[in-house]
Amino acid sequence: MKIALHVPCYINELNPQIAKKTLLILRHFKLNVKVPINQTCCGQPFINSGIPTTLPLKFNEIFKNYDYIVSPSSSCVSIIRNQNLEVSNKTYELCEFLHDILKVKDIAKNYQKKIALHNSCHSLRHLLEGAPSELNIPYFNKIKKVLGGNIIEATRDECCGFGGIFSLKEGFISYVMGRNKLDDLLEKKPDVITGVDYSCLMHLDSIAKKDGDKIEIKHISEIIWECLNETL
Amino acid sequence: MKHYKLAIKFYKEKGPRHDKNLWNIRQKRDKAIKEIDKWEQLRTKASEIKEYVIEHLEELIEEFTKNAKKQGIEVYYAKTKQEHNEIILKLLKEKKAKKVVKSKSMLTEECDLNEFLKENKIEVIDTDLGERIVQLRGEKPSHIVLPAIHTTKEEVAKILNETNSDPTYLTHKMRKLLREEFLTSKAAITGANFLIADKGFAVVCTNEGNADLGVTLNKLHIISVGIDKLLPSIKDLGIFLRMLARNATGQKITTYTTIFGKPTNQKRVIILVDNGRIKRKKSEFKETLKCIRCSACLTTCPVFRRSGGHAYRYIIPGPIGSLLAPLVDKEEYKDLPFACTLCGSCEMVCPVKIPFSKQLINMRKYVTKNKIMKIAEKSIHSDKTFKLFSLILRLTPKPLLQKAFKEWSKYKKLPNIPQKRFISL
Ligand code: SF4
Repeated sequence: MKIALHVPCYINELNPQIAKKTLLILRHFKLNVKVPINQTCCGQPFINSGIPTTLPLKFNEIFKNYDYIVSPSSSCVSIIRNQNLEVSNKTYELCEFLHDILKVKDIAKNYQKKIALHNSCHSLRHLLEGAPSELNIPYFNKIKKVLGGNIIEATRDECCGFGGIFSLKEGFISYVMGRNKLDDLLEKKPDVITGVDYSCLMHLDSIAKKDGDKIEIKHISEIIWECLNETL
Repeated sequence: MKHYKLAIKFYKEKGPRHDKNLWNIRQKRDKAIKEIDKWEQLRTKASEIKEYVIEHLEELIEEFTKNAKKQGIEVYYAKTKQEHNEIILKLLKEKKAKKVVKSKSMLTEECDLNEFLKENKIEVIDTDLGERIVQLRGEKPSHIVLPAIHTTKEEVAKILNETNSDPTYLTHKMRKLLREEFLTSKAAITGANFLIADKGFAVVCTNEGNADLGVTLNKLHIISVGIDKLLPSIKDLGIFLRMLARNATGQKITTYTTIFGKPTNQKRVIILVDNGRIKRKKSEFKETLKCIRCSACLTTCPVFRRSGGHAYRYIIPGPIGSLLAPLVDKEEYKDLPFACTLCGSCEMVCPVKIPFSKQLINMRKYVTKNKIMKIAEKSIHSDKTFKLFSLILRLTPKPLLQKAFKEWSKYKKLPNIPQKRFISL
């Protein structure tokens, strides 16, 4: 099985540790993982800004010869999945890959900290990694299954207000939505807030930092790696 | 003023309460749709029927017109809103009507009928509670099913010159005032939720019964309706009636569902309004014609709940409004498709499965002509130029970055930028 790691450009710039942890996780499962170094951006920021782009085609060129492409970002994955490309159906978000392909679960069952999971919109409503409350379908959540143990979720499974370009155009409502999301999660007294999208987490973290909330916020790959590393 | 500014103003005054009220309705809706095991299949079916309607719109208009005429209903076709308003004026003048009662019509709002008739010295009384409240306040509805959701009971008391702000008391007072209007009007205007092509019927769903009262008391009944409201057959109606009220407010069905056909002792007129719909059918936004105006996409939208409907400035606000408004005036409403996080909630609640995520992105494209971003797109194809951007990002002093990202920095801390990248320089 030939696997490629997609390194989302914003993660490469702003939190490269996430890419490293994702790579370590995949290698932990004895997978043959390559990191194509000429990759840039999947095109998401342009698509979402209404700018015509051929970046997804470039993504396709770079990644089409792999069996699976794994990415620690559900928003990039859903951009790719929505195109009609060779790579569209073999590009997976990390937890989705762990759940659907590697069929692992309960990785963080014995994690010492109480985890709150932020179900990001791209993960929940675009990739259907869980059942969104809008639909009449039975409850499930792949990410919770992969983590295992007692995972807290927000009372409202609504958007945290990041929305990429939205956060730059509507700073105030973006802030209010993030504040509401933090309050919703913090009410349940978690030790750490996590999720599959660093973009949402970065947004929540920058609100927590500005408002002075004492809460640890980190990407799911870091928690998963901590757990795997411990059991080694 | 653009959406982001109006949103700040609204949120600071009324946001949290507005958000809470609408979220409660969303939850009622969730409960109601979960009572129907095959809800998701119903959505697929409804979506298919509506797709058929769009594809066969012209034929269905013809079929409907023929069948409605057979029922003794007069049918007009208005290409524009001006034509629509002129037809109504002519009909009212014939009846020497100086006052007309109106119920349940977003379409007449779309056509600015109230203003037009007022200029022509005809008084229009909106008879639905919420619509009457906004009419008395000199505003437009802020939500298509809950037009006065942005007001408080104290504000309603104030427009009625009352000190008692008990909602039941105020409703009774309004009822009494409106009774007078019903008894002195000369014509009734209603909208319609559905038009049944194979029968020539118009279906009106309401909770207060004002449409029915207005129609019963008047010699002239005018139905103003968009051609997108057509359904091929009476057999299709059940599907939509099951979905509409549940999805809108969490009711199983609206209190009144009236099927208007053959008129007795009165004249019934139906004005089929195009006003851009045929043109839209030929555009990349044709799927917006599937909308049945259930309002669920407004109610669920996390931005709408916090910004209020008036921040959208168009008569239909929220996600569906953000797809319709720029088609009416691209320059004026170009901010609307961006007043959205692309969270996809609207797409999930929509009973006719309008693909909002795709359409909103297409609408962003439609309103955007950003040259700088286009140049950036070109350069990012190469990992070398990307690295150059990355270097610039790291060399730019923080205060400058804060300035560049000022909407972010006003409310949030900028993240620290690590020295090293993963795929490195
Ligand atoms: S777009 Fe869909 S959800 Fe929104 S009002 Fe129309 S039918 Fe309802």
